[in-house]
Amino acid sequence: MEPQVKRLKGSLYDSDSWTALPVLSDDQSQDIQLVQAYAAPIVNKRETSRLVRELNLRYPLAGLQHIKRVRACKEKGSPHPLEVLVCLVSQVPDSKDATTDSLFSSEGVRPDGLGELFVVQVPSRPPLTRPQFELASKHWPTSFHEDKQVTVALKGELFSSAQKANMHGHMMSAVAAARAAQELGMEAVGAVVVDSATQRVVAVGHDCRRDHPLHHAVMVCIDLVARSQGGGCYSFDKYPECRFTAPESSHDDRVCDSNTGSQPYICTGYDLYVTREPCIMCAMALVHSRIGCLFYGTSSADGALGTKFKIHSLKDLNHRFEVYRGVLRSQCEDLNRNRKDLEN
Amino acid sequence: METKTESGSTFTAQNHYPSEPEIDKWMNEAFNMAKEALEKGEVPVGCLMVYNSEVVGKGRNEVNESKNATRHAEMVSVDQLLDWCGHRDLDVKSVCERTVLYVTVEPCVMCAAALRLLQVSSVVFGCRNDRFGGCGSVLDVSSADLPQTGTKFQCVSGHRAEEAVEMLKTFYKQENPNAPKPKTRKT
Ligand SMILES: [Zn+2]
Ligand SMILES: [Zn+2]
Repeated sequence: MEPQVKRLKGSLYDSDSWTALPVLSDDQSQDIQLVQAYAAPIVNKRETSRLVRELNLRYPLAGLQHIKRVRACKEKGSPHPLEVLVCLVSQVPDSKDATTDSLFSSEGVRPDGLGELFVVQVPSRPPLTRPQFELASKHWPTSFHEDKQVTVALKGELFSSAQKANMHGHMMSAVAAARAAQELGMEAVGAVVVDSATQRVVAVGHDCRRDHPLHHAVMVCIDLVARSQGGGCYSFDKYPECRFTAPESSHDDRVCDSNTGSQPYICTGYDLYVTREPCIMCAMALVHSRIGCLFYGTSSADGALGTKFKIHSLKDLNHRFEVYRGVLRSQCEDLNRNRKDLEN
Repeated sequence: METKTESGSTFTAQNHYPSEPEIDKWMNEAFNMAKEALEKGEVPVGCLMVYNSEVVGKGRNEVNESKNATRHAEMVSVDQLLDWCGHRDLDVKSVCERTVLYVTVEPCVMCAAALRLLQVSSVVFGCRNDRFGGCGSVLDVSSADLPQTGTKFQCVSGHRAEEAVEMLKTFYKQENPNAPKPKTRKT
């Protein structure tokens, strides 16, 4: 029999109290877009393959390769089993009085076997996620190349309980660092850098804005990582909660990547845990540092990894990374709440 | 004239619109900083912060030396400005509000955000930064609606742009001659 483990909210092991959800790109997270099209019932099923062939030539669906030309009729007991997508409304010059005959008057398609034209809405872009696919399918069937990991992640089921326990522990350290900053009269934000392969903590930092207006927790962590590798520009020694550990061996496989050239992509292979969504400066600093994966607790008003921008998913940038929000959400929210209480 | 004002709006008197001779003079110094960066094997970007006709911050890219990928010329200059303010017991915000930043390449998204956070009044830059630019090229951080992220700033762009581009090209050519860059490779 399994021993009953008594769980306290916010305790080290209560990783069931939160769910990490992916922050997807705009393309992946936006509502599906629809475009108007003409469809018609196929009253004579034997004409189907000929109709599809002729329609594809006469009215090719440019840019709509995801749309299935023929769908099974929705209503049960319908006299015709199939419906075919004829063309987009925008493909017809005078769409006001389009009829089956007027669309096929030109040579190329024989309207034999088609019923009366009707207007439908079809998804204008291929669905990228299962929720988009399910919405799109309500309008017209589309193909869908499912990214299984995204599907699982959207359900909040990507991480195993062992992984969640690790994540929980790291974010607890970030929360502790945030509290330390708060006690010193600075913003209650903390961050932890972790080697994703070994789960070794590389650096812990917190907001140090009293000394330097740009020393947000993430910027502090990036410099601490640089220090752990023999670089760095600042000393945070007066803050015991800002710390780093040097790599265990002098030979660090992680940074010996011939593709990186002379650029010190210091955060390659590292994950960052931060109590609240980074601002745009910090988000871009993480792009420059080639962070592996980022986890945050709560969103912030001008946040650049989901709220105002999605810096991690911009196609124009040369590094992209995954972002998950909601890790230890309530504890991270409490930090912000305390801050507001202090301000009032 | 090759310099133009971005984002349509004009400088007000309190924004200290830099005159053409001022731009020539300070940008020349910024270019000298960029050359120094190139000699040190760093991305050739040089930067100057000028307050009341006085240089209060000066920097060049030092990413490789510091192993900190955020050590762009602007960030180095900002540190000097903060020290300068500290030594004189001046309020950083009121100094930045009357400071113009001169930089050979458009500030990246990170630096543009940093300049907003510090409330720097205006930025004069040479060439655009198609890879990371935060003043219109990749994102327009300088004029975005971000109420929690300092204040918007004005940009003047295009001063000695070709020269700034040439320096970047020189750097990327020598940085990694074996890199598989099919467009520039000549064998
Ligand atoms: Zn920040
Ligand atoms: Zn920059």
